[in-house]
Amino acid sequence: MKKVMIILAVVALAITAFGKINVLYMAQAGYQPSDMEQMGALFTELTGIDVEFTFVKYDEMHDKIITSSAVPFGTYDVVLLDLIWTAELGEKQLVTPLDSYITKQMREDIAPAIWDAFTYKGQTWAMPFLANFQLFFYNKAILKEAGYNHAPKTLEEMVEMMKAIKAKGILKYPWSDSWNQKEGLVCEYVWLTGAFGGDLFNENGEPVFNQGAGLKALEFMVMLLDEGLANPNSLNMDEPMAKDDFIARNVAFNTNWTFQYGFLNDPSVSNVVGEAEMGLIPVSESVYDPEKYYTATVSGFQGLAIPRNSGNKNEAWKFIRFVTSPIVQQAYLKEMPVWKSVQDNPWVRTVDPVMDIKAQEIAASHHRPKVAQYQEVSSILQRYIHLALEGKMSPKEALDEAVVRIDKVMK
Amino acid sequence: MLLPALAIVFLVIVFPICMAFYLSFTESTVTGTGIKGDFIGLKNYIELLKDDLFWESLRITLYFTVVSLLVEMVMGTLMALVLNKQFWGVKMLRSLVLLPWAVPTVVNARMWQWIFIGSDYGAFNKLFVKMGLIQNPIVWLSDKVPFEGIPIIGSFFEWIGATRALNMIILGDTWKTVPLVTLLLLAGLQTVPDSYYEAAAIDGAGKWKSFWSITVPMLKPVIVVVLVLRTMELFRVFDIIYIIMGYKINVLSILTFQEGLVYTHLGKGSALSFMIGLIILLISMFYINALKEKT
Repeated sequence: MKKVMIILAVVALAITAFGKINVLYMAQAGYQPSDMEQMGALFTELTGIDVEFTFVKYDEMHDKIITSSAVPFGTYDVVLLDLIWTAELGEKQLVTPLDSYITKQMREDIAPAIWDAFTYKGQTWAMPFLANFQLFFYNKAILKEAGYNHAPKTLEEMVEMMKAIKAKGILKYPWSDSWNQKEGLVCEYVWLTGAFGGDLFNENGEPVFNQGAGLKALEFMVMLLDEGLANPNSLNMDEPMAKDDFIARNVAFNTNWTFQYGFLNDPSVSNVVGEAEMGLIPVSESVYDPEKYYTATVSGFQGLAIPRNSGNKNEAWKFIRFVTSPIVQQAYLKEMPVWKSVQDNPWVRTVDPVMDIKAQEIAASHHRPKVAQYQEVSSILQRYIHLALEGKMSPKEALDEAVVRIDKVMK
Repeated sequence: MLLPALAIVFLVIVFPICMAFYLSFTESTVTGTGIKGDFIGLKNYIELLKDDLFWESLRITLYFTVVSLLVEMVMGTLMALVLNKQFWGVKMLRSLVLLPWAVPTVVNARMWQWIFIGSDYGAFNKLFVKMGLIQNPIVWLSDKVPFEGIPIIGSFFEWIGATRALNMIILGDTWKTVPLVTLLLLAGLQTVPDSYYEAAAIDGAGKWKSFWSITVPMLKPVIVVVLVLRTMELFRVFDIIYIIMGYKINVLSILTFQEGLVYTHLGKGSALSFMIGLIILLISMFYINALKEKT
């Protein structure tokens, strides 16, 4: 029996060692599948290592990583790792620490906040790849119809604009967003909490979102629905649907990940060509400071990790090093490069007219809690925030209940 | 001679079930070096029985199962009765009726997701607005319940989780599965001799009386098979709900998936799986006892 197992293991390793790697990546926000396939094709041409991609929706990524990590011989050699999974996957040692691969020069050319997203218990578990964060999108033509010639600086100003747009019959619902009961809802809640000057957890890792900024954020979301300013269908929308609603000219404002920018002026899909702009997410006037605190966003940093049970770690690292390299990121400026040298490159600033906005926005990132039990924490938050949005609980009741359940999980 | 077959049965069925059953008595999770856990006895089962979320999930699953079964049995019977008649084109119609059943489950779910989109570009909204049936797009997958706001009845629908979203999913799911029920009932109908109906007609029985006195008793064995089969599948529903609503509609399978794979609480996930299995077994035994012939 032992001999049979050894022979099977050798055969499996031989098959996997045949100059081919399997990459698990998302087909949602961030780099689109066509971009990744282009990068993969060039990598294959340069190195002779074949790359096979599996694209899944973001919400399926975590479960696929867990199930493929639980077996001795993994399915994937490279996986996309969201920063919210760093603590869990690091704690369970399901991915390989990359510290031995990362050079001093690489460390210095990426902002500490981005490295921090993938560091847990002193080790780095993924190579930064996607400096994803949310931005503000508005339709300047609709604003002009309503009598405004600038983007709102505060949330209160935005509400005033929305009321004017609605009152003039320009749009029924000036706002929609990805408020379905999924991870995207937590992201929306995080930036809104940031827009009221706070975070979900305090420095001691304790949930504080049921008071102060967190409570105001949820009350704001409920108010938008109650006053008919937010489309009720937002409660069923994910980020691609929110993008579709914006480019269909159904709304005047939304927030979304950087990927939405690439669709605004695509005449094959967009009804807002030449009308839509990307800007900084406004904050509440209670915290607004034009020099120090004028925007807030949520980080969606993603890295590339090597599962512990991969049989092609060296090939996997070569692929990761290639796609995350400054030269490749410079070629794919539809997403924010992670490298400071690329962000500050004068040529890049000329080619990407919104790089300055992106640089300001990313500097105002608020993070989701980095805890090993994040999946449960997020599920609880999603459930109770959604119940409040449905009107089944008041914001205070919902958040209080969420804190009680999260405390139980964290013990 | 039997050893290879027994070995396969053991490896593929017996061993995984025993392993999962053992896991249900542990607090286990996935780590880089394999599954690690501690034996905790019945704690998982007790915690589940005390968890409000489990009971809510059970209610929603029961509602989904009962309503879907009702729709499938009524529609399936009506369609089987029609297809049992002889008329021009009945053979072609019998083949066409099977088409929805041939659609893969994931494709069916995605298709209905697009049909139900609450914006003006969703198929239902576009069609109904064009036909003048509605003026504004409807959010088909909303959390509103029938008779919302009305005391007792509204609260009841809220309590069993009968949201508009779930009712729409029932529509999408039964669209696909009614052909299977129709086919099984049609096969049963074809074993009922015409002479029984002729004799009943001679004795003065009308169509309704013939249906209840002849058709239904003769179809009992088939009905038991359909009920047991469909109850098992409906109780375990996962794909269509997960694809359209994610974790929003928390039926038992979704809860199991979340506990076992998302939170990696393998023990609790296993315990939930066995509880689902036990409930299905009890329901099946109830059917068989209720519908068996009295000798």
